[in-house]
Amino acid sequence: MTNLIEIDNLKLSFDTEEGKVEALDGITLGIREGTFHGLIGETGCGKSITGKAVMGLIDANALIEAGEIRYKGKDLLHLTEKQFQKDIRGNEIAMIFQDPASSLNPVFTIENQIEEVVKMYAKAARSEYREIVIGHLKDVKLPDPETLIYKYPHQLSGGMKQRVMIAMMLACKPSLLIADEPTTALDVSIQAQFLKVLRELKEAFRMTVLYITHNLAVVSEICDVVSVMYAGRIVETAPVGRLFRNPQHPYTYKLIHSVLGVENSLEDLEEIPGSVPKLIHPPKGCRFHPRCDKRLTICDKAVPDTITVEDGHSVACHLYTAGEKYDGL
Amino acid sequence: MTDYKEKIIEIKNLKKHFETPQGSVRAVDDISFDIYRGETFGLVGESGCGKSTLIRTILRLLPPTSGEIWFNGRDIAPLHRKRDLKPLRKEMSLVFQNPHSSLNPRMTVYDTLARPFRIHGITKTKEETTIEIVKVLKTMGLQAEHMIRFPHELSGGQKQRIAVARALAVEPDVIFLDEPTSALDVSVQTKILKLLEATKEERQLTYFYISHDINLIRVVSDRIAVMYLGKIVEIGKTPLIFGEPQHPYTVGLFKSVPIPDPDRKIGEMSLQGEVPSPVNPPQGCNFNPRCPHAMDICRKEEPELKTTEDGRQIACHLYNR
Repeated sequence: MTNLIEIDNLKLSFDTEEGKVEALDGITLGIREGTFHGLIGETGCGKSITGKAVMGLIDANALIEAGEIRYKGKDLLHLTEKQFQKDIRGNEIAMIFQDPASSLNPVFTIENQIEEVVKMYAKAARSEYREIVIGHLKDVKLPDPETLIYKYPHQLSGGMKQRVMIAMMLACKPSLLIADEPTTALDVSIQAQFLKVLRELKEAFRMTVLYITHNLAVVSEICDVVSVMYAGRIVETAPVGRLFRNPQHPYTYKLIHSVLGVENSLEDLEEIPGSVPKLIHPPKGCRFHPRCDKRLTICDKAVPDTITVEDGHSVACHLYTAGEKYDGL
Repeated sequence: MTDYKEKIIEIKNLKKHFETPQGSVRAVDDISFDIYRGETFGLVGESGCGKSTLIRTILRLLPPTSGEIWFNGRDIAPLHRKRDLKPLRKEMSLVFQNPHSSLNPRMTVYDTLARPFRIHGITKTKEETTIEIVKVLKTMGLQAEHMIRFPHELSGGQKQRIAVARALAVEPDVIFLDEPTSALDVSVQTKILKLLEATKEERQLTYFYISHDINLIRVVSDRIAVMYLGKIVEIGKTPLIFGEPQHPYTVGLFKSVPIPDPDRKIGEMSLQGEVPSPVNPPQGCNFNPRCPHAMDICRKEEPELKTTEDGRQIACHLYNR
């Protein structure tokens, strides 16, 4: 299978008053067609900015220093804003954000807002618009779409708004969807309903999704492949089952074992000492080394290479390179 | 597990209603329960169920509409807000959800922590205050050098530890923890929870956690209560409620929680529909429109919280016959 999108050694920094922030330091990531690819990490690790970079939505003070983003073989970083808007954004790649309330326009009805997308992307006659809008609302399992179209965003709950966002996304028929923490603002029962709808859509439309989240439980629920980010780098990528059963990077291991599940107790939980480093002066070598309990002498000197463990599973850790297996002990 | 006997807080028929142009919002609607000295009590519920309002009312940060709040043997509900509440602030304290907004950005850690000591007259001199502050910082795994820092110079986890230190400073009997880790990353959450646990042992505290994170409540609590739309629907010892949830809402809520294991997916039985508006709650049992077992009586009569054979309390017509 081919990669729908390839991010190759992407380096991105922010120019701030306090200095240069190395937000992304050589991200390499390939997403295969038809997969749910999870991008997981803690606050400030660079997961959202990766999504925004693919979407061509980086802030004015951000600078792409090196690397490439190729979508269906086409280089995205050298497109003009006009070409990006015309050829890529919406019809090829779409994005949904964390807070659905701020993504919808409060003064237009649901129909107005989805119709706008239909008008732009669907090749249909004006008379068919309503039917298409209702169809997409049905796709996301929203109850009573015939009345829903007359409602305004404030009349909908958070979970419904997020589903309207998905319906809007379906209307532009993108090949790639970037979902940035879509369930963080939702309650668990609503999150469960949303994930169920998303999983059904995945089956029905064979969507390719880059799913950005900090929630490992959600990742295990919905993703096929997961990349773990730490302080601006991808430390490990693996199929979801392998990642949970056989993590190779100490950070991945600790992260998995610091999540509260349904059976573990407080004593079982791993603690990661210290906190996520600031990226103005990131640690030298491996960025995780100050918090790592298995650090080698080389770890604060050289950046570890990304090594393939087996097909689809890669890790960037000196321990692995040195032939030692990390078992968390 | 220890059995705690002595009641430290007794809530009787507590109500907190808010008047809005749309009508009365019954955020806390006739709630009664007890908390025992030395236990960790956990309250779970989804956003808007009234859990934050409940603890704010118990703490008398909000005036109760009606009902009794017995704390250490006296009813604090009728106490005069300005005249009588100050001693209470020393006995019960609160840790807020978001340390980024609950700490004053213009005050150093020293200033933040010195205030409770000064206000309650716990220490007399500056030297004494400093000694106490260093002590409480140590309890939270921080050093004396952190005293001169401002909140923006600390990480999220450190900030929350300062917020806990502030709550501990007055040596309270009960600490209320309102989603203490939800603003933190998972890798620092564990540390805070373990520190809180150790401090509780050391100082013989009573904890009252509220959270929407069901697994968090499960690991920390001795007893838990599940709240839905202003009411407690089920309450009992943690292993009992988690081992065998009985109220249809509790069952659905637990089944909605994603499991960090790729081989196990969310159950098909997860909750349908959404929480109704508290301005206009359904007739009878609040949960009946979403309940898979709703019967005729559920649409007419409100179920009472009753004790069952295994010692839990449950408000559901399925079990209350």
